[in-house]
Amino acid sequence: MKHTFKIGGIHPAENKTASLEIDLQPLPTTVCLPLQQHIGAPAKAIVKRGDKVTRGQIIADPGGFVSAPVHASISGTVTAIENVIMPDGRTAPAVVIKADEDEHQADTEARKVFWVKIDEERTLEDIIGNLNADKLRAKIAGAGIVGLGGATFPSHVKLNAKDAAPDTLIINGCECEPFLRCDDALMCRWPHQTLEGARLLMRASGVKRVIVGVEDNKPRAIEALVKASEDMPEIEICPVKTKYPQGGEKQLIEALTGRRVASGALPASAGVIVNNIATAFAAYQAIAFDEPLIERIITVTGDIPADMRRNYIVALGTPFSELPFTLPENAMAIIGGPMMGRSAVRLDAPVTKGSSGLLLISHPTNYETQPCVRCAECVEACPMGLEPYLISTYGRLRHWDDARNAGVADCIECGSCSYVCPSHRPILDFIRIAKIRSRK
Amino acid sequence: MENPRLIFSSTPHVRTTNSTSKAMLHVIIALLPAVACSLWYFRLPALLVLLVSIGSCMAIEWGVTRFMFHRKNTLTDCSAILTGILLALNLPSTLPLWMVVAGAVMAVGVAKMAFGGLGCNIFNPALVGRVFLLISFPVAMTTWPVPLADGITGPTILSMTKLGTINATDAQLMPLFLGFTGGSMGEVSAAALLLGFIYLLAVKVIRWHIPVSIIAGLAAIDLIAGYPPLIDILSGGLLLGAIFMATDYVTSPMTKKGMVLYGLLIGLITAVIRRWGAYPEGMSFAILIMNGFTPLINRYIRPQRFSPRRKEAIA
Amino acid sequence: MEVLIYTIAILGLLGLSGALILYITSKKFHVEEDPRIDSIVSMLPGANCGGCGLKGCRDFATRCVGGEAGKLFCPVAGSEGMAKIAALLGVEATAMERKIAVLKCSGCRQARPKIYDYDGVNSCAVMNSVGVGTSGCSFGCLGCGDCVEVCNYNAIHIDMDTGLPVVDPDKCTACGACTTECPRHLLELRPEGRRKRRVWVACSSRDRGPLARKVCASACIGCGKCARVCPFGAITVTDNLAYIDPTVCKACGKCVGECPTGAIHASFELPKPAEK
Repeated sequence: MKHTFKIGGIHPAENKTASLEIDLQPLPTTVCLPLQQHIGAPAKAIVKRGDKVTRGQIIADPGGFVSAPVHASISGTVTAIENVIMPDGRTAPAVVIKADEDEHQADTEARKVFWVKIDEERTLEDIIGNLNADKLRAKIAGAGIVGLGGATFPSHVKLNAKDAAPDTLIINGCECEPFLRCDDALMCRWPHQTLEGARLLMRASGVKRVIVGVEDNKPRAIEALVKASEDMPEIEICPVKTKYPQGGEKQLIEALTGRRVASGALPASAGVIVNNIATAFAAYQAIAFDEPLIERIITVTGDIPADMRRNYIVALGTPFSELPFTLPENAMAIIGGPMMGRSAVRLDAPVTKGSSGLLLISHPTNYETQPCVRCAECVEACPMGLEPYLISTYGRLRHWDDARNAGVADCIECGSCSYVCPSHRPILDFIRIAKIRSRK
Repeated sequence: MENPRLIFSSTPHVRTTNSTSKAMLHVIIALLPAVACSLWYFRLPALLVLLVSIGSCMAIEWGVTRFMFHRKNTLTDCSAILTGILLALNLPSTLPLWMVVAGAVMAVGVAKMAFGGLGCNIFNPALVGRVFLLISFPVAMTTWPVPLADGITGPTILSMTKLGTINATDAQLMPLFLGFTGGSMGEVSAAALLLGFIYLLAVKVIRWHIPVSIIAGLAAIDLIAGYPPLIDILSGGLLLGAIFMATDYVTSPMTKKGMVLYGLLIGLITAVIRRWGAYPEGMSFAILIMNGFTPLINRYIRPQRFSPRRKEAIA
Repeated sequence: MEVLIYTIAILGLLGLSGALILYITSKKFHVEEDPRIDSIVSMLPGANCGGCGLKGCRDFATRCVGGEAGKLFCPVAGSEGMAKIAALLGVEATAMERKIAVLKCSGCRQARPKIYDYDGVNSCAVMNSVGVGTSGCSFGCLGCGDCVEVCNYNAIHIDMDTGLPVVDPDKCTACGACTTECPRHLLELRPEGRRKRRVWVACSSRDRGPLARKVCASACIGCGKCARVCPFGAITVTDNLAYIDPTVCKACGKCVGECPTGAIHASFELPKPAEK
C-alpha cells in the first residue's frame, strides 16, 4: 500500500507539463532585494546608498532570532534602500543594487563556473570537515537559508529543536501543487547533491534518519534519488501517493511516520523536522561551496506555449518580467502553485526566496457561485477533518467564537474545500478571515 | 516593460469542473430509465402528469424568484426540473392534473422557496408535495393503474398484504423487478431504478451509504417480522426513495457515519409503518421524518478531526 | 353530549396541569434580579452593538448595577443617557465627549483609478487578505462596504460617485463596530468637536510621497506643509503621514487649504473652498 495521509485530500488535474530541464536565467543588471523574504523579523540593512557590494556579500543582518540575512545577488552599487512594490502590489523596504558592464560580465562568468562546479559529486565527509552540528547550523543561518517550499521559515530555527529531541528528518519532495516542477527538476538534475544536503541537515539537527517523501507521479526523480542514495544508509526514499495536499507538513508526517501532530503544535513535538528538498540543496551549496542563498530554481508555466514552460535558476531580486513568457488572455499571475500561491499584480516586482514558480493562467470565468447544497464534498476533502462549509458560514456571519470552537485554527488553508465545491463557493476566503479574527 | 493589467483573486486559483447544475443533470439522466418505463407502462396519462409536474414546478420557482425574491432566476440550476420529475414519478398516472399542480405548489412553493430556495429547505420538496397529496386526496393517490392495461386499476402487493388478501410469500419476484405490478409512475420498475443507481455511483454524484443502509434497515425489521425482505425491497416506493429522494444533498447528513445512521433509521421507520402502521407504504413518511433529524445528526456526528478536539485531548 | 363533557374535561385538565407545571418551575427556578437592571436596559439603545466593549446592553446594565457604573460608558446613549443612569444609581456620571467616525481615506474613483481587476467575494476583509486592492494603494479604502454591513445604525453608506463610504454624523453613535471591522483601520472615532467642527487627515498612506502619489492623486505625501501652517501645533508627520491631534486641534481649517493634494478634510464649509 502506498504511503499517504488518512483524512480527506483531493486530486486536481496535475498539469505538470513544464520541461524538466533547468536553464540558467541571465543575471539582471539591477536587482531589488526585499529585507523581508522570510517569516519572522525583517532583516536590517547594513549597507547604505552608494556602497559597493560584491555578489554573495551580506547586505542585511537578521533582525532577530527568527530571521535571516539577505545577500547581494549581483555585484554593483547600492542605489537605494527604500520601499518598493512587491508582486502583490504592496510596498516593502528593499535594497536596490545596480551593476555596471564590467561587474555584470565578471558575475556572469563566476556564476557559470559555479553551476558547472556543482555537478561534481562531493561526499559528505569531504564537505563537512570538522564542523559540528552547532557550526553547521550557524553556517546555514549565515547563508540566509529559509524554507524554499514557500513558507520561508528560517531553517536554522527549525533545525535547532534539541528540546523536543526529534528522531527523524523528513525531506519534502512531494511538490503536490499542480503545474510546478522545480523540485522535480532539481531531484532529476542533482539527486546526489540534494541528498548530501539532506544529510547535512540531518547532521545539523542531530537526528538519525532521513526520509525523503516524493509523490509517485515523479518516477524519474524517484529513480534518480534511489540510485544516488545507494551508499547512504541513513536515507530512505519513500514514494507517496499523488494526492493533494501530500506536501502539507502535517499530512506528510502522517504519511511517512504514522504520527499525528497535535492541534497547534510544531512538527518537532512529534519528533520530526520537515524541510523542503530545495532547502536541502541550498544547504549543500552553502556548506560545500560557501554559496549563500542568492539564487533559486523557479518554474514558469501555465497557459503559455509549451516551449516556454521551463525551470530557471534565477538570481533573487530579478524582476519576474525578465523571465521569458507571454501572457494569456485575461491573465492571472500566481507566485507559487495554483492551490496556495498568491495572486501577483506586478510582474516588475522581484523574485524572492519563497517564489517557487510563476504561473500564468487565464482567469477562469466559466463558473458562477450557487447556493450551498450541503453535498459534503468539502467535508470529505478537508485534510484536517474540519467542516469547511460550517466554518465558512461562521466567518461570513462574523461568528468568530463559533468558528474557533469548530476548529478554524487547525485549517492549513490548502484550498481543497474551495476546489471541490460544486457550487463554486468561496469557502476558504471566509475561513481565512475567521481564522484571523477568531485569534484575538 | 509596462506592467500588464492583471486579475487578482483568492486561492485556490483552479476549481473543479463539477457544478451543482451538473450534479442535478446527472440525477435527471439517472432517472431517465425510470421515466421511460413509466411512459411505456402508463402511456399518455403518464406523459401528461410528467409534463404538468415539471412545468408547474419550473413556473412556480420562476415566479417566486422573479416577483417575490427579486433575484436572478435560478432555473438554470436544474433543481426545479428535478423536483418536477421526482414529484411526477411519485404520483399515480391517473391523478387529475389539477392535483398535480397543487402538489407542485406545495413542493416548490412551500417546501422549497418558502425556506429560501435551493439549499435552504429542510424537507425534500418532492416528498412534501407527494405527502400533501396523499393526505389530502387519499383515494386518488392510492388508485394504482395496472401497467400496460388501459383504465384498469388494481391494488399493490403492499396493500394486499396489509389487508391480508394475499400472503407476501406468495408474491412473485420477477414482475416486481421488471415492473408489472401497480404503483406510482416511477416506482414500478426496480430494474430501471437500479440502472439509475449504478449510473449515479459511476459518476460519483451520490455515495452508496444511504441507499444500502436503508435497505439494510428495512431488511432487518422484515426478518424480525417474518416478511420476505426481497419482496419488501422491490415493492412500493422504497427503491425510488432510497436512491433518489433520501440521497438529496440538502436534506441528508454530511458525514458517512451520519448517512449510515440516517439510512438505517429510514429503513427501520419504513418497515415499521409498512408492517404495523395504518398505511401500506411508509417510505415518504420515513424520509420526511429523518429529514427533520438531519440537522441533529449533523450536529452530533462530526467528521473525524486530524488533530483531536481540545476537550477530548484533555479527557 | 358525553363526548362534549369528556373533551372539555380532558382539555381543561391538560391546561390546568400545564399551568401548574409552569407555575412550579417559575417559582423553583426563579432568579432574583435587581429591578434596576431592567430600568437601565430600557434607557439603553438596545442594539447590542458592543460599542461599550461588553456583550450587549443587558451585560452593560448588569455591570452598571454591579458597581462599575463609574468606569463604563455607552457611546450610543452619550453623556446625557449616562447621566440618567448615574442618577438612577446615585453615582457620579461618566461624561465623555461625543465622537463620530471619520474615514481616513479620500481616494475617490477619480483620484485613484482602478489599475488591477479583482475577481472574488465582495468583501473588504477577503480582498485585503488576497491582495492590494484594485487601485494599487496598500492603505486605502477597498470600497466593498464591510463597514456598511456592520453598522447597526445605518449611519454608513457607499457614495456611488466616489466609491467611498460616507458616515452620517447624525446617525453615527461611535459604537466602534466599523473601526474594528475595517481590515485597514481606516475609520477613526474623533470627537464631534465644538459646533460640530472637525478637521482630519483623510489618508492613511505611509508610503513615500512619490509612491503614494503614483496610485492616488489625493494621498498625503508627508510634505509637512500643514504642520508648518498649524497655529496650535496639532499636526505631526510620522512615516510620511500627517496626523491631527483632535485634543489640540481647534478646527480653524487653515491646514485644509494648505494641503497640496487635498487630503485634509473638514466637516464644515470653509470660507474659501480649497482649490487643488
